[in-house]
Amino acid sequence: MAVKRRQEDSQELNLIPIMNLVTILIPFLIMAAEFVQLSVIDSTLPAIGPPQPVEEEPDKPPLNLSLAITGKGITVLGADAVLNPEGAGEGAAAAAPAVEGEERPPTVPCKSGGTCTGVDDYDWDELTRILGLIKDQYPDDENVILVPDQRVRYEIIVKTMDSSREDKKTKTADNKNRTLFPFVVIAGGAL
Amino acid sequence: MAVKARRHEVDTGLNINSMMDMMTIILVFLLKSYSTSDISVAPSDNLQLPLSSAQKAPEMAVNLVVAQDQLVVDGVPVLALSKAPDEDNPGQELTVVPEDEKRGQVITKLYDRLLEKAESAKALGERSGSSEHEFKGRILMQVDKNMPFSVVREVMYTAGQAQFGEFRFVVYKAEG
Repeated sequence: MAVKRRQEDSQELNLIPIMNLVTILIPFLIMAAEFVQLSVIDSTLPAIGPPQPVEEEPDKPPLNLSLAITGKGITVLGADAVLNPEGAGEGAAAAAPAVEGEERPPTVPCKSGGTCTGVDDYDWDELTRILGLIKDQYPDDENVILVPDQRVRYEIIVKTMDSSREDKKTKTADNKNRTLFPFVVIAGGAL
Repeated sequence: MAVKARRHEVDTGLNINSMMDMMTIILVFLLKSYSTSDISVAPSDNLQLPLSSAQKAPEMAVNLVVAQDQLVVDGVPVLALSKAPDEDNPGQELTVVPEDEKRGQVITKLYDRLLEKAESAKALGERSGSSEHEFKGRILMQVDKNMPFSVVREVMYTAGQAQFGEFRFVVYKAEG
């Protein structure tokens, strides 16, 4: 009878040491837990960046794609002229130079018109679409120069880098986002 | 009488099975979010990093924090920033670097501190002899998302003068 009693007792597993262990592990893991994931965006200074291998083709001038970010929108510039991929090309922009003292409207104006009120007021989809058209013409180019205005907030610069890095709506053959211009250089802008 | 005593004895035993279940779930969840990331961010009202779709993992480098109120290099505050009224938007303020802390475009205190960091990193790289620890001029920038570009530009220019030319802008990874 006594033997049977001991068997009954040993069926109950003693969980207290496991509880102790878990209670110690949980605070340690909470401290090492990462609830927001960080990532980084590469950028180099224009002056001391690595020299880009430029293969000169006589009939194709280098693109030198630049994005001028202002409070009113984003202007796409390339090869010292305003790019206009939808119109008659660069010729049209050169043929109608801006009148002295009159500002040319930005390529990608704010959604609300006039001065942008916040990050979401900039038309990021439109910028990505225009850059996609430029990428069609210059498939080998991967650099973009950002020229932000002095008052432009850092958040908007980061968002511009995102929009020019890849096109989320266009997929490549292996179902990845289409890469546009991933190498970003931030220029000092006009003083 | 016998029945009553028996039941009372049974009730006093603590059942920790359900608690064990809960602990196991928490343990698995915490193990999943365990991180061994090189860098750490102390979020505050003065330092809110922007969201980005960038996917590149951060690596070890000199850590420069540009918060709304101060500049911090590797955890040590270097310079307090001040506010100036915004000329274009009356009533609002912009963060600026105090004029007497600048020499031209260079922020002098930040330049001195970064140059110190560059020199010690170079000495370390030479002593170790391996290309892995070589000084590459890499700097991690944690910049508040509302910082005007004028401050970012001055900080970048100063870092460039102090031989830091490869910027890594730290951002929060957006979902998806």
